[in-house]
Amino acid sequence: MSPSHGGLGLKLVLDRIIMKRGSWSCAADGILVPGIHLISGRVGSGKTTLAELICGLLEPTSGELVLDGISSWMLCQQFPEYHVIGATLEKEAQSYGVVPELALDRAGLTGRGGEDPFCLSRGELRKLQFSCLSLCDRDLFVWDEPYSALDCREKQRVAQHLSTRSSGITILFTHEQRYFPKTDYLWEMCDGVLKYVGKVPEALPLWEHAPSHIRFLIGKGVIPANLTEEDLGEALCRMQG
Amino acid sequence: MIVVRNLVFRRLSIPELTIPPGYVSLIGPNGSGKTTFLRVLSGVLKHAEGAALIDDTPLRERRIGFVNEYPDRNILFSRVSDELASTLRFSHLPCEEITRKVDLTIERAGLSHLADRYIHTLSGGEKVLVALLSATIHSPEVLLLDEFDSHLDEHAVDAAEQVISSSGAVYVIRCTQNMDIASRSETLIALFNGRIRSIGAPSEVFSALSGTCYVPFAWRSRIETGP
Repeated sequence: MSPSHGGLGLKLVLDRIIMKRGSWSCAADGILVPGIHLISGRVGSGKTTLAELICGLLEPTSGELVLDGISSWMLCQQFPEYHVIGATLEKEAQSYGVVPELALDRAGLTGRGGEDPFCLSRGELRKLQFSCLSLCDRDLFVWDEPYSALDCREKQRVAQHLSTRSSGITILFTHEQRYFPKTDYLWEMCDGVLKYVGKVPEALPLWEHAPSHIRFLIGKGVIPANLTEEDLGEALCRMQG
Repeated sequence: MIVVRNLVFRRLSIPELTIPPGYVSLIGPNGSGKTTFLRVLSGVLKHAEGAALIDDTPLRERRIGFVNEYPDRNILFSRVSDELASTLRFSHLPCEEITRKVDLTIERAGLSHLADRYIHTLSGGEKVLVALLSATIHSPEVLLLDEFDSHLDEHAVDAAEQVISSSGAVYVIRCTQNMDIASRSETLIALFNGRIRSIGAPSEVFSALSGTCYVPFAWRSRIETGP
């Protein structure tokens, strides 16, 4: 099953995609429409492989991927160090086609444009990468673990930014347990197969990889309206009466 | 006890700090000096001023396991089993013992299916688990973990905790941005702008950080729901 297509023009079709590497494999079949899609799954389940397949960095063993109406796309890789091609922070920001000063400012790195990206802590490098990507606009954005290495304030910023993306297809691969954007659709990688769970919030009780506090709320009969901090706070208040 | 005195290095400034044995989590914003602190403790970075000692011995002279925050920087060899064996080979253990230890370690971790895999084919989380096994296979006295959990799901974190608890390390010091994991430590250290803002039991430190996002959701819920 897949979310129903609202005729909004853009469509990502995963047509019986299978990827094999020795005895390991993953499979995906579904249609992703505009909105925010959250894909969770255990370590090694194929999330990064699927992200790279969608963005054309890998060729599937079989099946077809169709970018219907999608003319531009971007992948935020799991490891920010894989993005680095500039010898300085300024050159690195320029490589995204954004104004370096603005990107550095947003990342809290004002005045450090001449430094080597690999002298940053991993969290700082992730902040720079996110800052650059947040200044870009694409029909399709694929975020592979964008929260890793970020502190809680930065995770909040990432979630808020993703929530503001009003058009295009946004795919968020993550095992983050705490900070989420306002999410439209839930998917899971189960036993190497991509499974559509459903639309939020109706699908939340069916979410196998739901974080423990969301399982706790649902166990108490309280279903959050969505996954943002505000939604979870409101659900908590509701539970406490 | 690990005793840090008059440590001044880059943005770090720690006049005095005593770290007890057990599980210690280091929390704080990106760029606050957590990684630098772990690297100084491990001896990867040598500091000019101050000292970090266990029983009057510099930490770097003790048996230390270290997991880097960049997963690929942990890896020396291309195959998982060779990577796990490397620490033992560098210690000149007999080949039979190395084989036995590697097999046992990977089996206990439930990762036997990865033994013959090439590291570059592993997922980010799997790379981190391999790095953790490599860091613990030679029974370190001090285990230093730099945000290794940021690549792991809930189940993998549980598996990693088993590896850590069976490592025999007397001191387990880790940076984390997962406050639920931090809350399960015996000691919490909050590092902001290179300085210790708070140290103590999680309840004390989270209380000192009240009103910030560093307080885990479960603790906020407990506070809001009352005892």
